[in-house]
Amino acid sequence: MNSSLLAALSRIVGRQWVRHRRAELVTYAMDGLPTHESLPGVVVIPGSPEQVREIIRLLHVVRVPFVARGAGTGLSGGALADPDAVLIALTRLNRILRVDPLQRRAVVQPGVVNARLSEAVLPFGLHYVPDPSSQAACTVGGNVAENAGGPHCLKYGVTTNHIVALEVALPDGSSIRLGSLHGEPWGPDLVGLFVGSEGMFGIATEITVRLERIPQSVRTMLADFSTVRAASEAVSSIIAAGIVPAALEMMDRACVAAVEASIYAAGYPTDAAAVLLVELDGQSDAVEAETALVRDILTERGARAVRTASTPADRARLWQGRKKAFGAMGRIAPDLAVQDAVVPRSALPAIMDQIDGIRLEYGLTISNVFHAGDGNLHPNISFDRRDSAVIARVRSACRDIMAACVAVGGSITGEHGVGNDKLDYMPWIFDAETLGAMRAVRRAFDPTELANPGKVVPVHACREWTAVKSTRTPTLRSGHS
Amino acid sequence: MSSGPYAALDPCVHCGFCLPACPTYLVTADEGHSPRGRIVLMRALERGEMSGHDAALVEYLDACLGCRGCEPVCPSGVGYGRGLEAAREQLLSQRGLSPLARSVLGVFRYRALWRSVFALARGLRATRLPSLLSGPGRMRFGMGMLAASAEMRERVEWSARQRGSGTAGHELGSRDDLAADQTRRPAAPPTVALFRGCVMDLLFSHVHAATRRTLEVNGYRVLDLPDQMCCGALHEHAGDRESARALASANVEALAGRADFVVVNSAGCGALLKDYGHLVGTPESSTLAASVRDVSELLAEKGPRPGAPLDIDVAYDAPCHLQHAQRVHEAPLAMLRAIPALRLQLLPGSDRCCGSAGIYSVLRPRMARKVLESKIADVEAASPRPDLVVTGNPGCIMQIGAGLRAAKLPVRVAHPVELLDLSYQNAGFYEVKGE
Repeated sequence: MNSSLLAALSRIVGRQWVRHRRAELVTYAMDGLPTHESLPGVVVIPGSPEQVREIIRLLHVVRVPFVARGAGTGLSGGALADPDAVLIALTRLNRILRVDPLQRRAVVQPGVVNARLSEAVLPFGLHYVPDPSSQAACTVGGNVAENAGGPHCLKYGVTTNHIVALEVALPDGSSIRLGSLHGEPWGPDLVGLFVGSEGMFGIATEITVRLERIPQSVRTMLADFSTVRAASEAVSSIIAAGIVPAALEMMDRACVAAVEASIYAAGYPTDAAAVLLVELDGQSDAVEAETALVRDILTERGARAVRTASTPADRARLWQGRKKAFGAMGRIAPDLAVQDAVVPRSALPAIMDQIDGIRLEYGLTISNVFHAGDGNLHPNISFDRRDSAVIARVRSACRDIMAACVAVGGSITGEHGVGNDKLDYMPWIFDAETLGAMRAVRRAFDPTELANPGKVVPVHACREWTAVKSTRTPTLRSGHS
Repeated sequence: MSSGPYAALDPCVHCGFCLPACPTYLVTADEGHSPRGRIVLMRALERGEMSGHDAALVEYLDACLGCRGCEPVCPSGVGYGRGLEAAREQLLSQRGLSPLARSVLGVFRYRALWRSVFALARGLRATRLPSLLSGPGRMRFGMGMLAASAEMRERVEWSARQRGSGTAGHELGSRDDLAADQTRRPAAPPTVALFRGCVMDLLFSHVHAATRRTLEVNGYRVLDLPDQMCCGALHEHAGDRESARALASANVEALAGRADFVVVNSAGCGALLKDYGHLVGTPESSTLAASVRDVSELLAEKGPRPGAPLDIDVAYDAPCHLQHAQRVHEAPLAMLRAIPALRLQLLPGSDRCCGSAGIYSVLRPRMARKVLESKIADVEAASPRPDLVVTGNPGCIMQIGAGLRAAKLPVRVAHPVELLDLSYQNAGFYEVKGE
């Protein structure tokens, strides 16, 4: 990065918030998926939305690309910046600006930590529903960029269902407001378009979220099975019975072993092939009735034991084990490749068998922890990168798993986003025309492609789609389904 | 996995779950000031990709408080503290200590030196000048720290309040009960050697006295053993392992095999004494380390015996080296709950570092003060406002005490054992027969 740019950035945010020395940059070279690494040109940590806009205006003038970053817990390499780009860390913008308990809305800055928001509105009997496993650390801004999910999104929907309005700094530094506090605005759903755009359309500087009442009654059940297949079939049976649990999560034996060795040990049976966590919530009577029904289904499907958490502390313990599972993988090996794919729920039993086959074929350790209720898989491959031979096997296994998921009608990401980790897979599920349309939408927001360049829509293949791009009126058409 | 001194860092998968537990990350919002960021730097140091002379790297690693608040939240059980030790030793060997750190640590190396320094400090404290001069500026904050080390003056006031309220202490225990207890006790009570330390021995002699008295009431025989040195924790945290080892060896020599337990009332010292086996590496040091207990642990094991009521609001603040390094959580609370009528609060962030961190607050006052700010704000916002904050570590007592003085809050800080001692005194446990 040239010194005049550093000076200009320093004038905006103050010298102490501009990081450019190597030791400073290496700490920002990875997100939660350390299989990808890239040293940013410079890191800048603005202290106000106005500073964010000023930075972007400056970068737009000098045509330098930028990438936004929250807490760096993302799992697709989406918050990595190349050496020619500026990384804008939004962690200082961490204020909850307003809470309106009557309208059930909160207005927050993008650096607010997800779990802090729920804590702050707890006194009003409210919470912010989307609860990614990293919620203790991840930021609402990052959740918006990735359209983050979480265990409780099965019943309540993902991030996009909980964002009502946004203030956005566009890639030229101008500011717009999308959505409205109450009800739907006129015209196209631009909030829906922005949420999940992975930093391609600008930076959300103010986020208005929907809050929900904390349910009157909650039951959490733990069931364990002697085969993964039986557990998968139980999942399908529960949904087929017309029940929509608040959450329906699965962990396999390897994953349970890692969790039970950690300080988040939740008392999962370590000899089970798979455990299911089922949470039901709502009005007391309904929850009681559904609990009985689910218990019957689980037993019928071969659960060895079904345990119901009786106290909030028990429930919290069961959930802590699940939510910290990914972080506990360091107990298996020092490196981790987290995958994220979706399959139709009916394909779960078969795909679990296939993943096990891939594990045997490559001689790897794969543990599975995932949102079974919506078919969102997270196979975790544990390895040690100091063994150079293993890296190629890990890569191939990742590809094979993804290919298997796509082959049964699935998708390449459920909630982690495409980032740069899954760029190569995009043409598997979208045809050239569709990718061209995506690129055209991107250019509508960002004609010079300065915002998070090179991510999400594979650029290198775009040359083939110039014809589509030039029309500027592409038809959105899914390539796969 | 590597087997070197950095092996404890191997399980880090970069998930970032440690970020919200790190005091320096919380005040800077900067990844380099987070455990995960520092692990990246330590790994680079280990692999030789970055040098110990890299100014930015040194700044980030030096700015770590060493509170180890990241360890209990890590799902993979990363041994951050062990990694930091290794990194600081490597940094020290490559670039040496700063002149300020060298002179501070030098003082603690020799008994005659620290004794003179603290004797002077005690003299200054006795003039009440530090109390009058305490305030927000750097010098005045230092004065506040010294003032905060004094025995709480409110002892008298609270005793009066308690007597005025009409609750009689002797209902709960009197010296007759004590005498009866003692006759029932087996012939040889467990012996306890009091670890005297440096700061504790001179500036906190009242805490030592309270420790002795409360332990004796609970059936321990307390021994005073000569030839003890500073524990070496300050040296160890700075990467000066050679000095730490020399001091530790002297303490092993002075204490080993002489009592059933070694009791420590300073969390920072206790954490290192419990780690002497690792530091010194001899069988005697391991045996000694296994006999080390925080004063709250010994007291909690015996209940402890309840004393007279104290009608006060008390906020407990957990020292990092007690909760994270020694993993002692419940014992201090049990000790405080044994005091009738005392209303105990755990403020938000009571498990977060206060910024004292040994000599950190002297070497890096700005960051230390920033870390302290949220704690002071929590005390200020507390309802009801506590009369007293209690914490079992001298650095924390002085840091929080000075912070409260600087913010002009009428809240004092003490060691939890002082309150139990006051409760015992009011109960008449210390009155000698025939007096």
